[in-house]
Amino acid sequence: MSSQITLTSSDGVDISVDRTVAERSILIKNMLEDLGDSGEAIPIPNVNEAVLKKVIEWCEHHKNDPVTATDDDDNRRKTTDIDEWDQKFMQVDQEMLFEIILAANYLDIKALLDVGCKTVANMIKGKSPEEIRKTFNIQNDFTPEEEDQIRRENEWAEE
Amino acid sequence: MSPRDNTVGVTGRQRPSISLRPRTKSAAQPVVFPHQYTFDQLRKASLAEASDDDSSAFEEMESFPDVVPRRRAAKSFSHLRHPMDGLVALGRRLSVTLRHKSSKHNLSSSGDDSSEAEDHYYRVTAQSAHKRNALSGSWASRSRAWSHGVKSSSINRRPSLNDISALHGLFVPTAPISGPIPGHGMEPPVLPNDRFAGAAARAAAAAQNEQMELTRREMARLEHDLLNKSDSRVPRDSESGIGIDLRDPSELPATDLNIHRIDPVSYLPAEIMTQVLSYLDPASLMEAESVSSAWHRQACSPHVWRHVFRRCYPRRPLSVTASKKKQSYGVGKATPNQDWKRMYMVRRALEQRWKDGKAAAIYLHGHQDSVYCAQFDEDKIITGSRDRTIRVWDAHYPWSCRKIIGPAPDDVTPAGPVNNPAQQATGKSPFATICPPSVPVGDIASSIDEAVDCHSASILCLKFDEEIMVTGSSDYSCIVWDIKNDYRPIRRLQGHRAGVLDVCFDDRYIVSCSKDMTVCVWDRHTGALLKQLIGHRGPVNAVQLRGDFVVSASGDGLAKLWNVVDGHCVKEFLSKDRGLACVEFSDDGRTILTGGNDRTIYQFDANTGELVKELRGHSDLIRSLHLDSMNKRIVSGSYDMSVKVFDAESGELSIDMPGWTTSWMLNVQSDYRRIVATSQDARAVIMDFGYGLDDIELLEE
Repeated sequence: MSSQITLTSSDGVDISVDRTVAERSILIKNMLEDLGDSGEAIPIPNVNEAVLKKVIEWCEHHKNDPVTATDDDDNRRKTTDIDEWDQKFMQVDQEMLFEIILAANYLDIKALLDVGCKTVANMIKGKSPEEIRKTFNIQNDFTPEEEDQIRRENEWAEE
Repeated sequence: MSPRDNTVGVTGRQRPSISLRPRTKSAAQPVVFPHQYTFDQLRKASLAEASDDDSSAFEEMESFPDVVPRRRAAKSFSHLRHPMDGLVALGRRLSVTLRHKSSKHNLSSSGDDSSEAEDHYYRVTAQSAHKRNALSGSWASRSRAWSHGVKSSSINRRPSLNDISALHGLFVPTAPISGPIPGHGMEPPVLPNDRFAGAAARAAAAAQNEQMELTRREMARLEHDLLNKSDSRVPRDSESGIGIDLRDPSELPATDLNIHRIDPVSYLPAEIMTQVLSYLDPASLMEAESVSSAWHRQACSPHVWRHVFRRCYPRRPLSVTASKKKQSYGVGKATPNQDWKRMYMVRRALEQRWKDGKAAAIYLHGHQDSVYCAQFDEDKIITGSRDRTIRVWDAHYPWSCRKIIGPAPDDVTPAGPVNNPAQQATGKSPFATICPPSVPVGDIASSIDEAVDCHSASILCLKFDEEIMVTGSSDYSCIVWDIKNDYRPIRRLQGHRAGVLDVCFDDRYIVSCSKDMTVCVWDRHTGALLKQLIGHRGPVNAVQLRGDFVVSASGDGLAKLWNVVDGHCVKEFLSKDRGLACVEFSDDGRTILTGGNDRTIYQFDANTGELVKELRGHSDLIRSLHLDSMNKRIVSGSYDMSVKVFDAESGELSIDMPGWTTSWMLNVQSDYRRIVATSQDARAVIMDFGYGLDDIELLEE
């Protein structure tokens, strides 16, 4: 069994990576288990080179993390903390961030998906609707009445 | 109190046949005790009873203290909202200030707008390389479209990433770059505008790669420049009038060009956006609902709210040591169509009721003498009385008595006032008072043959779980009842040589304590007496069990921690002065609370034995304690006729409810929405904080 495998990004770039690193991706892990390692490059049709390299960088850093025993959704979402290295890793522009999230989802790397989603959540947390709109350049398509309605619904149920 | 308050109970679907008794507001009305007792007479009567072997529920070695004036306790609780948010915001602002200062000095000092714009463009190119191609085409128009009349300074604002290392990755050489930069490595210089090919992201990564090639020296030089140029830049900024901007970068206009802003709701699939939003706190999530209609759809999703609700109100932790009957935490049922947001709103309204001390009083009338003990769950309330009977009540409207276990009593007629308005004036009074009508005894009493095997004296204590109920009596015995089979007696536990004052059990053991100064440990399944814990020098008034440990509280003034396996006393917890009447053992087994004749609740660390806190407020013996760890509430019932709620973390008195019945409080228990207290005036009262809240039933488990 070779310790290196080759991944081909959507834009046709071959990237060589340790098998153990690549196996942080459940998609790749299952593929290797099902198909055996033929030594041929594995195509990753949904992820381009830049994103794939970022993802591999993350997998490299986290290759020794214990694989979480529980895949329980509730447990994974208990905490919104992000460790320091991951915070720095996620300091990319919005498009890169979203692409990493999409790649993590496609490649089935739950821990990376969690970190990505938490990062976006932190960009929303504690902000007013207007601040959120500015953060993501969103057009407000509500009428003032509709906005008022939502606000009223969320007010205290009594008193 | 508005007239509506008194009629809440009879509106809409819940129109009952109950009689509502509006609370008299007159504080001048004299206190009327049942049977026309005065306070002192009552006290004497109770003292006499205490010496009467047959019926004493609380035992103490020393005489009762004199009546002291009731202290009026101050109500206080902290209203610190989101203290962390404030800190974070402050930190953000500070870092923005720094960043702005520094970034400004990367600008060329040219005063000419167009050249600055050009200069900026290059910075943009370098900072967020992924946009460079798009920008080169649309720069002119976009710079014209720039809103708010913001000129050169705004272009230096950094993207709204919560960036700690501002210098890393974003401060790159500002030398003019005349055209598209060739991609790093194999990357083509012109990138296809295909979103899912991640062109922009690739470019960004390329830019990142470039940045990584920067030498440390260059970074250091940049920093150095920033510092040196800072002074010269200040006047310029003040001239332009927009120099120092303390706002969060995210508050800046979306037209800032140094970041490509994308709406995640349109970019990310719904299930991923659901996960993003599920990390938010409820307040942030509600703000997110107002962003746009697309955001509203996502943020209102029950999938999102389920996680948010569960994070605020987690399900019961699976604790091996929790031996108490599993109480409802009020976190609802996990049904597919559950309206989690509505649940959150109801729960929030309920928490506010607790903060305000706003509860309705529902009186369970039927027992003919002191109600010594009670336990409840979402479905039923079971009470035990000096009248030798056990009653099972409906925990919901119309709160009728479903069953009487024991000798059939006479029909009862409600007599006397249910509470004491004069006393209530010093604390929180019920906002609604409800006295459900009595059910005719004939319908609910045990049949003759059933009545054979029941207690022949006062019911002093009772506990139940899903399968069994255990009662202890002044007849020296305990009876184990089959709760699933219409409360038929299973067996009698005999061994104590005096009244059984308290009982508790878990999956393995039944533990009882007695006026005979011993604690007995029984096998739950066989009824065999396994251990006798001997050491107390007074009647043992209360007992609690967690795992292998039992804590007992005695009239000798000591609480003792025992190991059930070897029967040894592990630790002792002293009260300062006199006898103990009640004890609580936290679910995690770390905290022990005791209460008694000192009128003080003592909180001990179960491991170290250290006295952690003293909670004060009661003006007479503390008869019963309940700790709700999940909601951080300590509830106490006292001979001062009040029920009080303390904040379990701060120890502050949060709700004072005096005079909700007309006599001593004998037993208290609480869950997420109510307190059930029993009184010497032969009634139990439900102090229902959820009464009349719409959809409160969503929280039931």
